[in-house]
Amino acid sequence: MFGITMAASGDEFVAPGPNSFDFDAVPLFNLGGLAVTKPMVQLLLGALIVFVFFYAAARRATLVPGRLQFAGESAYGMVRNSVGRDIIGSHDFLRFVPYLVTLFFFILVNNAFASIPGIQFPTFSRASMAYALAGLSWVIYNAVGIKKHGFLGYLKLQSVPSGVSPVMYPLLVPLEFFSNILVRPVTLALRLFANMFAGHLLLILFSTGGLFLIEYGGIGYVAGPLAWVLAIAISFLELLVQFLQAYVFTLLNAMYISGALADEH
Amino acid sequence: MEGSLNMVGYGLAAIGPGVGIGLIFAAYISGVARQPEAQGRLQSIAILGFALAEALAIIGIALAFVL
Amino acid sequence: MQNLIFLAEGTEPTEGGHAPENPLGFVPVEAALSLVVFGLLFFLIWKFVAPRFEQTFAERTQAIEGGIAAAESKQAEADAKLAELEKQLADARHEAARIREEAREQGAAIIAEMREQAQAESQRIVEHGKTQIEAERQQAVTSLRAEVGALATGLAGRIVGESLEDEARQSRVVDRFLSELEAQNGTSAGSVN
Repeated sequence: MFGITMAASGDEFVAPGPNSFDFDAVPLFNLGGLAVTKPMVQLLLGALIVFVFFYAAARRATLVPGRLQFAGESAYGMVRNSVGRDIIGSHDFLRFVPYLVTLFFFILVNNAFASIPGIQFPTFSRASMAYALAGLSWVIYNAVGIKKHGFLGYLKLQSVPSGVSPVMYPLLVPLEFFSNILVRPVTLALRLFANMFAGHLLLILFSTGGLFLIEYGGIGYVAGPLAWVLAIAISFLELLVQFLQAYVFTLLNAMYISGALADEH
Repeated sequence: MEGSLNMVGYGLAAIGPGVGIGLIFAAYISGVARQPEAQGRLQSIAILGFALAEALAIIGIALAFVL
Repeated sequence: MQNLIFLAEGTEPTEGGHAPENPLGFVPVEAALSLVVFGLLFFLIWKFVAPRFEQTFAERTQAIEGGIAAAESKQAEADAKLAELEKQLADARHEAARIREEAREQGAAIIAEMREQAQAESQRIVEHGKTQIEAERQQAVTSLRAEVGALATGLAGRIVGESLEDEARQSRVVDRFLSELEAQNGTSAGSVN
């Protein structure tokens, strides 16, 4: 796969590592001096798939939905109702719905690329892409909070815990500020990245390891297929993780927004 | 066999969040079992707690790579 | 062999002389690209998808609520009709009671009238009987008066005819006449003189 195969070369097994994710070494093509790599193409492809699906579903929206429209509505409605309305609250969730829907399905499709044959690479195992989305989330929920409460009001909302005696403030205020303002985007980005990265690493390890064992012969004829069976099992686990990470990313975004919108206690 | 001590450290560091996440979801499951109608409220709280506990593991993996 | 020390310096470069990168490293091009692509996708969803779905949802809700409203108006109509019918029924009952009362009063009045009439009739009959009796008495008196004359004449003839034969018999006849006369006087006093 694009020259970064970790398959057995020679007689030593080369374990997959961070290099399996280094696509800068092998750009697909150059576009005006910019090396276009596989994850970048995937990003565009993912966005295209999401938009085409929703556009086709919404293009001829009727009161009684057809099959495609029903699928689109269910997908849209799931994020709209179970994430948007239930978390942010029915008062002002509507203006965040397009953002949450875009976020969820963009991440979901890009995660699912890890399991689609021929692509088999989760886009967000490139940390920079996860950084970008987490940074955007950080800007959005802070902007929403500052717009509603004012800068100082928002700082107070996020860093002064309610129901605690002021004696504890010196200890708690920096902690709250640290966890609500500084740590959130980092964990948001790294959670997505680390899950995708680790899952993909596991899959490579079991597939290439199985191949190496079979080529090695001897006990490898037993252990190799076993490794491949495990690789298949892990693929199914990864399908769950892909969905879960997209969901958690969107859910946390909604929670942060609802926390920023919350009234003073 | 070569490797980095960082990864061993990360493995040890992941024990704590692992136990924490397990406790959170255990409490969530028993909460839902006792009061199924509270699932909606409990779910968001559980996910929030899960995110907070997992943050530790995530910081761990970041440090494992960076240090 | 490639090892897992990611930042260790001096690891052999991968293909193309490219230095191994930290998987957590920040690649500006990728970050910028994902922001742009995400922004573009967000714009398209916000512009073309969300409004249509929301509109469809709203229309559907409205259709359902419209149905509910129609059903509610029908229900209200039915309720109103029922109330009206009940009111009519109550009116009818009231009317019937009134009529019954009236009839009872009327019946009582009729009975009273009848009784009065009957009383008047009986009085009239009694009156009639009395006058008839009086008339008959008058008639009897007049016919008696005529008879007394004849009797007197008869008696006188008899007295004259028998006086010679029997003195005692003559006195008996006179006595009898007188007692007869007395008895007649007792029954109708003052009318024969």
